[in-house]
Amino acid sequence: MKRLSLLLAILLPSAFVQAQEQQFQTVITPAFTPITWERLANAGDEPENWLMYSGTLDSQRHSLLDQINTENVSEMEMKWAYQIPVIDRAETVPLVVDGIMFITEAPSNVTAVDARTGGVYWRYDHDLPEDLRICCGRNNRGVAILGETLFMSTLDAHLVAIDARTGNLLWSTEVAPYASGYSKTAAPLIVKDLVVTGIAGGEFGIRGFIDAYDPETGELVWRTYTIPGPGEFGNDTWSGDSWATGGSATWITGSYDAELNQIYWGTGNPGPDWNGDVRLGDNLYSDSVLALNGDTGEIEWHFQFTPHDVHDYDAIQIPILADIEVGGEMRETMLWANRNGFFYTLDRATGEFLYGDTFATVTWASGLDAIGRPIRVPGMAPTYEGVMVSPPIVGATNWYSPAFNPDTGLFYVTTFDGEQEFFKRDEDYEEGERYTGGGGRYTQPMDAFHSSIRAIDPTTVDIVWEFPIMPRSSAGITTTAGGLLFSGSADGFFFALDAESGEELWNVSLSRRVHAAPMTYEVDGEQFVTIASGNVVFTFGLRD
Amino acid sequence: MSKHSGFRGGWLLASAAFALSILPVPRALAEDAGNLYNTLVDIRLGERYFERQCGRCHGFDATGNDEAGGPDLTGRLTRASTDVAIFNVIRDGIPGTAMLPVPENVPDPQVWQLVAYLDSLRYDPESVVLAGDADSGSDLFWSGSDCADCHMVSGRGSRFGPDLSRIGENRAPDDLLADMINPQEDVAPRWWRLRVTGPDGVTREGYRMNEDSFSVRIMDDDENLWSFHKDDLQSYERIEESTMPSYAQTLSESELDDLVAYLFSLRREEI
Repeated sequence: MKRLSLLLAILLPSAFVQAQEQQFQTVITPAFTPITWERLANAGDEPENWLMYSGTLDSQRHSLLDQINTENVSEMEMKWAYQIPVIDRAETVPLVVDGIMFITEAPSNVTAVDARTGGVYWRYDHDLPEDLRICCGRNNRGVAILGETLFMSTLDAHLVAIDARTGNLLWSTEVAPYASGYSKTAAPLIVKDLVVTGIAGGEFGIRGFIDAYDPETGELVWRTYTIPGPGEFGNDTWSGDSWATGGSATWITGSYDAELNQIYWGTGNPGPDWNGDVRLGDNLYSDSVLALNGDTGEIEWHFQFTPHDVHDYDAIQIPILADIEVGGEMRETMLWANRNGFFYTLDRATGEFLYGDTFATVTWASGLDAIGRPIRVPGMAPTYEGVMVSPPIVGATNWYSPAFNPDTGLFYVTTFDGEQEFFKRDEDYEEGERYTGGGGRYTQPMDAFHSSIRAIDPTTVDIVWEFPIMPRSSAGITTTAGGLLFSGSADGFFFALDAESGEELWNVSLSRRVHAAPMTYEVDGEQFVTIASGNVVFTFGLRD
Repeated sequence: MSKHSGFRGGWLLASAAFALSILPVPRALAEDAGNLYNTLVDIRLGERYFERQCGRCHGFDATGNDEAGGPDLTGRLTRASTDVAIFNVIRDGIPGTAMLPVPENVPDPQVWQLVAYLDSLRYDPESVVLAGDADSGSDLFWSGSDCADCHMVSGRGSRFGPDLSRIGENRAPDDLLADMINPQEDVAPRWWRLRVTGPDGVTREGYRMNEDSFSVRIMDDDENLWSFHKDDLQSYERIEESTMPSYAQTLSESELDDLVAYLFSLRREEI
């Protein structure tokens, strides 16, 4: 077939050839009710579906399904497995719409399967150039859906729209030039009639941004840079021209509050990661959360977790929006366990720091001051010879999804207590080349460190319980109204804990690293739970 | 040779030269003679490039990265056994994996410097000159010491310590000496000890054969294997120490040298 394509390429006009090469599939999924914005805004009310990366716009990752619960979870069995035909590990969180599941695969593909059986309807393969600039593996974490269209990020920094019924490409927009170091891995977020999406490339000296696109045409509606340009507020927090190559990527999905009409999105490390000498200042808005106006993308407030970061402590975590009682008063808060080892509770309307504390081992700072700014410990910046610091580069947590369960009032996060030697190096920026200024090295085996799921009371930052996992886990978490917490481990287990007590209720060995978050859904009255392990997507349900 | 045939031979040579000039020549072909960029400066520049471009996946010190999945490059390389092969993997990448080719604009000499750096992480064991005598070390290992009470070599010995059949491939002579003088310095998790109380109320201690999030397996001092689910355990204690004593006082310097020479000679037989 490839030979025939080559022959056609030589013999026929190029436009015709292009049409030949584009995918056009006639296999369609069963019909489903198109996904309106109203359904997305109330996604929690239809727990049979999983309509976005974090389940709901507040990103609590808490499902109202309770058929599988603390009483019967021990009767779970595997229902089906879908083998991804690519060897890279899967980081996907599938969506489910009316019994149809959409699974993204490395490097930048998506497959529609029957959510009852795993049988494939269609598969979209995205053509990629060979000279990609990617930091940390060939990853894709999921799609967004609006109407009957899927939206997906690709490693060559495109945003593509795909017909959810057929897998046919509708449009493909270049978000940024991949050859300059840009790439895209995270699921977009639908906000009303916009596709909101971030960018990766913080290790390549990019200038980060958050974009909104027209879902019909793929045209850019607004762009908000996560590093202010000359003359803008915050540009003077970068010495010289360092703002232009300062990173601050936006490589995980954000959240949205419809009442406040605010989009919340985390930003990554300033670049170069480990050499701050060339970018003196706080380096706004790196390692921050930004609250953007839901219509215009304008920054309404910002909170910077790690000013002038030199340890690669990206604020690439999912913002969890929850209304909790603070000081006897219900507050609209944002809960955030950060890669830097501190847990923060913010007022999400204003960005005001309410309180925070460590939730893992931290040596680089001794605490937070009254406005949430870290109190640095001297001598913890990377050196040419190496300096030991906790958390290590991978962080006290990282991009993997935390969860909040309104029934227990607890915040759950995958945590790592480790340490690493940090090194500084001198580097000049070259477009498209890595620009990191150093690196890190473990001096002990991974088993010497402590990894766990921690249940945190967000009103006190007390750790209510913890469940140890070994070695270091990079799995996300989902809780359910059945009183359960689902997560996975690096040694290939998928398991259920009692969300109230942390007691282990069920586990199964899937043998390959779990590097994704679970999700749950229901078809024909039967609840299922899905997790990716290695490059296989497994689905479990109660014994028939 | 006639004038005529000589002329024809010249034409063939010219044709061959022309054909070569238009055919794609593998970039590495010219370098088969060996790496021309292997001075100490080249190695240093290769290291700098590695730290910057490769360290994220392969580890800053090339020892691998568990999460990114980049393998350890300090030992034997599974995909490349020659400098040219290493060069080609770096230049062309490994299709279908996250091992991407280096960008086109990176010149070949820079890639060769990377090869030189990776080579510098290994060495030719034949070139190592040791003070000790391997035969004497072997005698000492098998009959003049208690080494074989715990260690095994090629199926002979015991299983209370690491199998040393190919230890010379993984440890440099200095490391081997340090292992015998200060065995607590760098204890592999496999040789930690676990003390656990099972559901039968009996406390057992043994080598940590294996441990995952939900279960442990230990081997006690009678070589009995025990496997437990962690949630069945009444108690669990991890002892991150080696059972190996220091031989700094019990063996002389020359005896240690002989043992190092013997252990360093233990490697896979060349096929």
